Amino acid sequence: MVELVPSLLRQELDRLAADGQRIDGRGQFDGREVHLEVDCLYNAEGSAKVVWGDTIIYAGVKFEIRTPWPDRPTQGSLMCGAELRPVAHRKYEPGPPSPESIELGRVVDRGIRESGCIDMDELCIVPGEKVWGVMIDIHVLSDGGNIFDAAGLAAIAALRTAVVPAERFDVGEDHTLKVNGTPIMASFKRAGGRFVYDPSEEEELGGDERIHITLGDEGHLHSLQKGLKGVFTPNEFAEILAVAEQKCSELREMVAEKEGN
Amino acid sequence: MGGYGDVKLLRDDGKRLDGRAIDEMRPVTIEAGVLPAADGSAMVTHGLNVAVAAVYGPMEAHPRKIQRQDRAVIDVRYNMAPFSTGDRIRPGFNRRSREISKVTAESLESVVLVERYPRSKIRVEIEILAAEAGTRCAGITAASVALADAGIPMRDMIVGVASGKIEDTVVLDLDKAEDNYGQADLPVGILPNTGEIAFLQMDGDLSIEEYNLAMEYNHKAAKEIHEIMVDALKRRYEGGEN
Repeated sequence: MVELVPSLLRQELDRLAADGQRIDGRGQFDGREVHLEVDCLYNAEGSAKVVWGDTIIYAGVKFEIRTPWPDRPTQGSLMCGAELRPVAHRKYEPGPPSPESIELGRVVDRGIRESGCIDMDELCIVPGEKVWGVMIDIHVLSDGGNIFDAAGLAAIAALRTAVVPAERFDVGEDHTLKVNGTPIMASFKRAGGRFVYDPSEEEELGGDERIHITLGDEGHLHSLQKGLKGVFTPNEFAEILAVAEQKCSELREMVAEKEGN
Repeated sequence: MGGYGDVKLLRDDGKRLDGRAIDEMRPVTIEAGVLPAADGSAMVTHGLNVAVAAVYGPMEAHPRKIQRQDRAVIDVRYNMAPFSTGDRIRPGFNRRSREISKVTAESLESVVLVERYPRSKIRVEIEILAAEAGTRCAGITAASVALADAGIPMRDMIVGVASGKIEDTVVLDLDKAEDNYGQADLPVGILPNTGEIAFLQMDGDLSIEEYNLAMEYNHKAAKEIHEIMVDALKRRYEGGEN
């Protein structure tokens, strides 16, 4: 999709919203079809592929052994980064990480980190000397809209199916990484004046602000982010939060189902 | 080549460690049109390698100084995902990926009818998601199918294949252990319809006879892979969709 006529697109989204419709025929809070595949890449210690409408994202988990921070001698570390490389869309240019890719990585990172699903003390090998550094890399291959939710899903699914490669580093036996929870993100975009769930590429192009909500297993908030220009009311937030609870539960079940295989 | 001569790579029965014969290729699968955002795309699995290529364009060439008045420029980026290798690699370009991108672009320029699109640019993005020796060849194959999928006219596609030498024996299609501990690697890009060569690299130690045998294996494998490439494109456009 080329950014030729965003103002015409904006008018069209307004017109559709007045009739309670969306540009691809979905209802206001309907998501697109989601496919999740785990353990799909040979060298990654945990991996997942998410196909979410026209969006395709891989996440891979790698481990390294590092020296702990002096003030936290028993704690390992977790880092989640994202790359919006030119492969994903004609709008992405080569070069150093863009503000957009940094935001994506950090929002996903916060949701996982703050949910407490990884106990940093569990990543200790020898206190003060050796701890595991866990790195989740998000690789966007096709941006068809709502890369945040797809990235969040790929990241947690890759993490939950990761195996700690202790044998390769000569520090014990390989074991599955302990992950106590499945934080899931739900994203909303103002298109045609009201919030819709799971924005498509057109809605991102012709819409306003977006809101990302990450919920843990107990329904607690673990990360929030408002992006782009625009303001929203407390009532609007209450409405989308209720939708987010339902969407996150559905996706959490999907992750659990894949882990069972 | 790694040059660790004492690692055993051939079994007593003459087969290789993974059970392949000397002139046997790892299994290859190809799918065209895998990325909805791209103008053309392909995914190639070659053994445990996974390579994805996306093509964008022809589009306006920016910055202007890269424009050529009589033809299109092909802008290739070969990139390994951070999780594609044993140890994580830091995101971003390095010397290896820059070199591979350069020679891949030059080989693709030899088959794409670039003179049809003066002053424009064709972007080819090659992403390696999993690496098990032979990623540049899988990348070239994926790029060729992606260019064809994008409808960009070409004289021929390019098939990426490699042969090499392990324990003084020429073998087709080195896997990771053979690449690490073998004696030579000869990756080439072959035009299947003419047998011409558009991409050539080599490192290690090969006699002229060994080179000739390795090339013979490469040409044989290129024919096999070409059939899979054509089949992928046929499947993509079967039934009148798109």
